[in-house]
Amino acid sequence: MLVDIWSSFFKKPVTQRYPFERLEAPEQFRGRLVWDPSKCNGCCLCIKDCPANALELITIDKKAKQFVMRYHADRCTYCSQCVQSCRSECLRMAHDQWEPASLSRHDFVVDYGNEADIAHILEKYGTPSARATAAKTSE
Amino acid sequence: MRALINLLFFPGGLFLILLALAYEWADRKLLARFENRIGPRWFQTVADIVKLLVKEEITPATSHPILFGVLPVVAMTGALTAALYVPLLGMRPALSFNGDLIVTLYLLSLLTMAVGMAGWNSTSRFTMMGATRALTQLFSYEAPFMLALLGPAVVAQSWQINQIVANNRGVWLLLTQPFGFAVALIGLMGKLEMPPFDAPKAKTEIVAGALTEYSGRGLGLFHLGKGIELVVGLTLIAALYMGGIANPVEFFGKTLLLLVVLTSLHAILTRLRIDQTVGLWWRYGALVVLLQWLALIVWKGVTA
Amino acid sequence: MSAEELLKKAESLLSGVGQGTTRPEPNRLDVVVPASDLVAAATALRGADWGYLSTLTGVDLGKDANEIEVLYHVCERDAVTTLRVRVPRAGGTVPSLHTVHPNAMLFERELIEMFGVTVTGLADTSHLFLPDGWPEGTYPLLKDTDVRAAAAKTTGSEPPEMGRHGDRFIVPVGPQHPALKEPGHFEFAVDGERVTGATVRLGYVHRGIERAAENQTYTQNLYLTERVCGICSHSHANAYVNGVEQLAKIPAPPRAQAIRQLVACLERIHSHLLWLGVAAYEAGFDTLLMYSWRDREIVMDILEQLTGNRVNYSANILGGVKYDVTAAIAPVIRRGLDKLEERAKHYLHVVTADTSFLSRAQGIGVTSKEEAASLEMLGPTLRAAGVARDVRIDAPYGSYKQFPVTMVLDSAGDLAARFKVRVLEMLESIRVIRVILDGLPEGTLSVKFPRRIPAGETISRFEAPRGELFYYLKSNGTDKPERVKIRTPTICNWIYVLTKAVGAQMADVPPLLASIDPCFSCNDRMIVVNRGGGDRRIWTRENPQRLAGAQTRR
Repeated sequence: MLVDIWSSFFKKPVTQRYPFERLEAPEQFRGRLVWDPSKCNGCCLCIKDCPANALELITIDKKAKQFVMRYHADRCTYCSQCVQSCRSECLRMAHDQWEPASLSRHDFVVDYGNEADIAHILEKYGTPSARATAAKTSE
Repeated sequence: MRALINLLFFPGGLFLILLALAYEWADRKLLARFENRIGPRWFQTVADIVKLLVKEEITPATSHPILFGVLPVVAMTGALTAALYVPLLGMRPALSFNGDLIVTLYLLSLLTMAVGMAGWNSTSRFTMMGATRALTQLFSYEAPFMLALLGPAVVAQSWQINQIVANNRGVWLLLTQPFGFAVALIGLMGKLEMPPFDAPKAKTEIVAGALTEYSGRGLGLFHLGKGIELVVGLTLIAALYMGGIANPVEFFGKTLLLLVVLTSLHAILTRLRIDQTVGLWWRYGALVVLLQWLALIVWKGVTA
Repeated sequence: MSAEELLKKAESLLSGVGQGTTRPEPNRLDVVVPASDLVAAATALRGADWGYLSTLTGVDLGKDANEIEVLYHVCERDAVTTLRVRVPRAGGTVPSLHTVHPNAMLFERELIEMFGVTVTGLADTSHLFLPDGWPEGTYPLLKDTDVRAAAAKTTGSEPPEMGRHGDRFIVPVGPQHPALKEPGHFEFAVDGERVTGATVRLGYVHRGIERAAENQTYTQNLYLTERVCGICSHSHANAYVNGVEQLAKIPAPPRAQAIRQLVACLERIHSHLLWLGVAAYEAGFDTLLMYSWRDREIVMDILEQLTGNRVNYSANILGGVKYDVTAAIAPVIRRGLDKLEERAKHYLHVVTADTSFLSRAQGIGVTSKEEAASLEMLGPTLRAAGVARDVRIDAPYGSYKQFPVTMVLDSAGDLAARFKVRVLEMLESIRVIRVILDGLPEGTLSVKFPRRIPAGETISRFEAPRGELFYYLKSNGTDKPERVKIRTPTICNWIYVLTKAVGAQMADVPPLLASIDPCFSCNDRMIVVNRGGGDRRIWTRENPQRLAGAQTRR
């Protein structure tokens, strides 16, 4: 052990000085979920298989395959079962988005889709924060 | 007036406290580097003490409140007073009289006894176990440690630290009395409750030992007292066994060298159980130091 | 002896008491036994040294059948004999088996509080899992119980008096204590430094997973079972998925099974390195903690590159695995293994030769082979005492037949032996991973798997880093399981700890606790072992705050 401690003394400490040093996560890393609306056919298998109820598919027009996916990043367990279940390969976990901390709860409700569709949804159902407040007062 | 400045600011008092914090930092930083970690930044120990001193003091209901408040002060007093007799920074000790070596050692023991009493007073299960262990450890290393430190006194034919240092100037007694030096060094680890002798404050068994119920100012004072004890102990051993300390360079060089040795031992050894500590000291420690004394007596007889 | 021969022997031993025997699977024997003959049946098997009681499961057969079935699983090598006892749903009674199998005491208390079955002959029938304030007469695992409502009605209780209990000085360890990585509550009555009595209360992280699993689909349960424990999560996932695949009679392809084994071996290295650091820390050897956890980063990085996460790898899906060992990842794994091997060899040297370390580990907690076998312990703790029991070798499943593992045994039975066994298991795992990498079978990663699993029941056993993990699964033809029973290895080792703690030095107790590698979150159970009238209370959040306030003086 004596040799150990002296050789450790002369080596650089192994501590990674986060946040000044940020290591890159490997390709395989399961970060935040990302959805590609162009490939989705609305089968909702991802939603059925999610163990944490983190996904919602809001249908605007089923025939024209216009959907908005609401992703609850705070409920997600980053298990990537949805990625496996999806047959159209429209879901992936972004390996570079691994610092999800935020000062507000509402940043965790992420809407994916076309700009116009999302605006439409938000108008109809209100912004996520408004929706949350409405839900709370009705309880 | 000058005496007052010496006492309160330099080299006693404030300077001594800062020195104690610096040595504690050096100990923690060294340990961290041995363990491949970064370790605390330079102002960490100062920040810790400031934080402790401004925190709220919570007094257990079942303890004697006056004792609870006074014991940290007693501990600190013991440590600070002991520092008056040792050659800090290579300067002449502030006070000196015949027999002050024994007094210094007892003042350091006063700190340990204050810790023991504090543990008993806190009447918590962890503190009582910690106090018992602290006092048991005191009884076990005290005799060999004291004998080891008296070895140089025999050679110098004086019980006064000042005189011992002067008479032994330049003589590195650690070479001629290696056993005594070893016992003194390990004894210092016992006194400071440094691993492997940290059974009295074994975190994974009795939370924090005798000082578990202390927080805030009381803990801060105990903490400082222990830091000062570290400095005084290192100075004493360096002065007695490493050829005396005549100037600040020698002071820092020798005491830091000793600190490195102590911290290395800290890093490579496991904590001993209290019965193993007692066994170690009463069997091997006492035996080794008595052998050393025998050698000394024989040498004295031969050269007299 | 093969499974067939073992089962034939069991059948003959039980010929007097069984009311009907079936062979649902080649390695399983089911014997229907009336409650009155249960002790005789268990004694018959035990007397002939046939097997150990792995666990007992309660299954609610529903309001219409109005019966509860209690299954007693006795395992010997790869053969499992299940004694099936049916009792009425209300007021059913079974005799206790704790005179035959010591661990039955714990399993039976779970049965009592979860199903409302009365067990006669058991001295302590207090709550095992549930808090003291849980409403009486509400049994969570019965199908029609509203668990949420019952949880809302749970009350706290008064905190016990601090200080001495009679003439015993009690040192509490937990629920918050620097020695514990997860909450649990131990009370050690000490006399000076010697422990004279020990009680334990666990279940602080009881999450009701077995009940939750009945309300989720099989796919969703993959991730629920994985999160029973953080450090043996892949073992849980594997045991579960093996069970479901057995029920559906669709085995995973060979490549997938090999990858599962590879990840399991990596997990074993991960778990043992973590344990090494924790056990060293309990004994006061901080430097070893820092070094072993630094080296743990190597295996966590490998797992991150392979599966995408450092803990909770989520590598399995029903019918296969998600991630492949590609040509890019294989060299990364090999490089990591080389580093780990070097470090593991160094740790082996430290745990066998470092004097100060050995003074805290050698000769402490010595357990003889007979004692270990009679207490029905599991895992490396058992193997350190010389009992050769390892599910990977006794009952190899899937790729373990193609890539066998060698048993690691030691005969000393003390703490030092346990350190040695675990480090050697690390080295063994490294060897097996290399063999798998060299001979990874070609093929697909997964097969198509139905959502609805045909009705049936199965038993899946897996060797987690801590010992045998036992899963009993019952399906009912829908996409949600009927019953999921999880028995984790740590629960079988608690009686041993409490027995050994008495008479030991207080300073040896944390290392002793740590030496069985307790996983409290696996252990979502509360155990209380009475040693003469101790108090068993549960504290809600308010109690410590109130107590702390009352205890201080401004």
